[in-house]
Amino acid sequence: MKIQRIGALLIVMCLIGISVVSSTLIRYEKRKRTQDVVNKGHYLVTLIALHSIRDFEGHKRTFFLRTLHEYTSSEGLAYCLIHDQAGRPFVVLDPYKLVSEIPEDIQMKSLYAAAFNPQTYQTGKSGQTIYEFAKPIFENGEQAGTVRLGMMPAAVSLFSVEHIGLLATIAFFIFAMVPFVYYGIKLAFKPLGSLSVRAKNMIEGSASGDVGVSEEPKVDDVIDSLDRSLNLLRENYKKLEAANIESEAKKGVIAYEKKQLTNILDSVQYGIVITDHQDRVNHINAYMLHLLNKERDDVIDHPLGEVIENEEILTFVSNHEAASQRTTPRHIEVSLPELAPGEVFQVTASYLSDADGSVIGKVVSAKNVTNEKAAERAKHEFVAHVTHELRAPLTTIKSYNEMLMDGEIKDAETQKEFYNTISEETDRLAHLIEDLLNISKIEMGSLTLNKGLVKTDWLVKDCIAAIEAPARKKHVTVEKQVPDNYPTLMGDKELLKVAVINILGNAVKYTPENRTITFSLKEEDHTVIFDVMDQGYGISEEDLPHIFEQFYRAEDPQISDQTGSGLGLATTSEIVQLHGGEIEVQSALGEGTHFSIRLPKEEYQLGKQ
Amino acid sequence: MGNNKRVVVIDDDANIRRVMELKLRKGGYEVITAMNGEEGLNLIASEQPDAVITDIMMPKLDGQSLCEQTNHLKEQRPFLTIVMTNRISPDDRNWVNEMRETQLMEKPFSPSKVLARIDEYFCDK
Repeated sequence: MKIQRIGALLIVMCLIGISVVSSTLIRYEKRKRTQDVVNKGHYLVTLIALHSIRDFEGHKRTFFLRTLHEYTSSEGLAYCLIHDQAGRPFVVLDPYKLVSEIPEDIQMKSLYAAAFNPQTYQTGKSGQTIYEFAKPIFENGEQAGTVRLGMMPAAVSLFSVEHIGLLATIAFFIFAMVPFVYYGIKLAFKPLGSLSVRAKNMIEGSASGDVGVSEEPKVDDVIDSLDRSLNLLRENYKKLEAANIESEAKKGVIAYEKKQLTNILDSVQYGIVITDHQDRVNHINAYMLHLLNKERDDVIDHPLGEVIENEEILTFVSNHEAASQRTTPRHIEVSLPELAPGEVFQVTASYLSDADGSVIGKVVSAKNVTNEKAAERAKHEFVAHVTHELRAPLTTIKSYNEMLMDGEIKDAETQKEFYNTISEETDRLAHLIEDLLNISKIEMGSLTLNKGLVKTDWLVKDCIAAIEAPARKKHVTVEKQVPDNYPTLMGDKELLKVAVINILGNAVKYTPENRTITFSLKEEDHTVIFDVMDQGYGISEEDLPHIFEQFYRAEDPQISDQTGSGLGLATTSEIVQLHGGEIEVQSALGEGTHFSIRLPKEEYQLGKQ
Repeated sequence: MGNNKRVVVIDDDANIRRVMELKLRKGGYEVITAMNGEEGLNLIASEQPDAVITDIMMPKLDGQSLCEQTNHLKEQRPFLTIVMTNRISPDDRNWVNEMRETQLMEKPFSPSKVLARIDEYFCDK
């Protein structure tokens, strides 16, 4: 659109404005004249009605009509009728010959209805609007007649001298305003153009903030620029919308991850409570809820002191306030006799900090360490036991040796006894070390069989040789029951020897002097069976289920008075199982013990082993 | 040395009892042995020894309990107690320090050193 078009539009609008002003003027003038006529009508009809009816008779009538006639041209009087008591008109002033055109109903109403308000009608010929006024004339308190006046407002002309002058003045001012308005619009568009360019640059991300508008701005350019800016805004809106979708997706991912974290916290096997900086519980995991025997709703947003009712833990957590300790989690071990009798919990407290290092909450965790404590205790007991078992033969060897070396033992018999004891204790030490190594391998799962063909005659011979000396010392007889044809089996000869010697050794150890031990070997259904029967103290019913456990030793003094590591039967059981065999025991206190080792007799196949 | 002083040797290991018996007898002491804590406690009460050599890990009554139960006897008739232990732990040291006339010795021990410790005790008397 061009500025000239705007000019033409302005002119049209000026003409419309003039028309509107003119019509308004005419309407105003008409209303003014009507009001004027109405006022005058009231005045005149009242003035006439005040007169006596006689004032309109004789010479007075002529004078009255002449006076009244003057009003017809200057004041808009159209006609005047005075009726007598009977309604007959006896004074008629009708210069414009309008009386014959008065509608009947107007006349009737004026005469009989004492219409004090003007009635309005239009004449048939000219369509002129007439206002009729009527008032009764009283004489001696009675109505003597009626005066009727027709008033006719003067016609309004637009082209009267006053109107033309006024309109000319208005037109002059309007045309005088046009240049001002034109330049006003130009001035208004100038910053708008600059604004448009700035807006465009802003949306495009231009760094230049000071954009001079050197050329005269054109409305088209401004509109184009705004249009482009709008497009850019749309594009940016789309980008924002895309970013919003991405953000929503990220929120979804965060919510999912939060749920995952909650699930992870709920799945861990220790209790966790997270508080805010006011020590109110923010989060608690399933384990902790179960431990405290509480519902989640009874815990969340409640003070930590209400949730964990253990004074020891609360004191530990509150004493953990020192700034230097914030990053160093520590722990205490507590028991919760009311919640988990007999169990030990390791409670840890640490701080949650924001990026500035300010504390925003605490994490209190509780881990059930009952098994760990038991394992730790067992480890200490194991070390103490092994140390004791190793030092006992060492002490004997060292002290006996010292006595011999110092020449304290002169007697040849005692010397021999000492040498024998040193030898036995050395064997005991070696045996113990072997047991320890085997049990260590079993614990590590690294005890493997070095399988080969085992001739049982050799095995029996080696085992009996190993217990011969202690048996002889106790005068215990070892009775051997073996078949004529010794069977062979597949296995680890050294480990099988350890297994059988442990059983035989125990039989000698726990059998009183001068008794007999029976060691038999037989083959049944491809199974090689070693039986060891003694006439010893026997094993109590309580001890029997535990004898294959590591370090288990019976409380019975007949047993516990003997030296022993508590590893022998555990090792034997493991070796037998590794060979696919089984070990059985039958025993009762005072009735001796019967151990039975059953090993499957694998066929030897050359090249397979 | 010795001068007929009486020593009770308490140990569940027969070899230890045997070697200490020989060594102390050679040193001039009268030796009575016990194979567990309970037996030792009775011997201390009945024999009124001048010295006791005891193991810690023993059946029936351990060395610490034995010492605790005999400590009051030393008020009227003091006697030396040598406690033999596999490894001297701070705990052992603590309870031994609370006992009268009680010393710790680590296993494996030398019989000559045990004898020397007892001789020294009686020399100082």
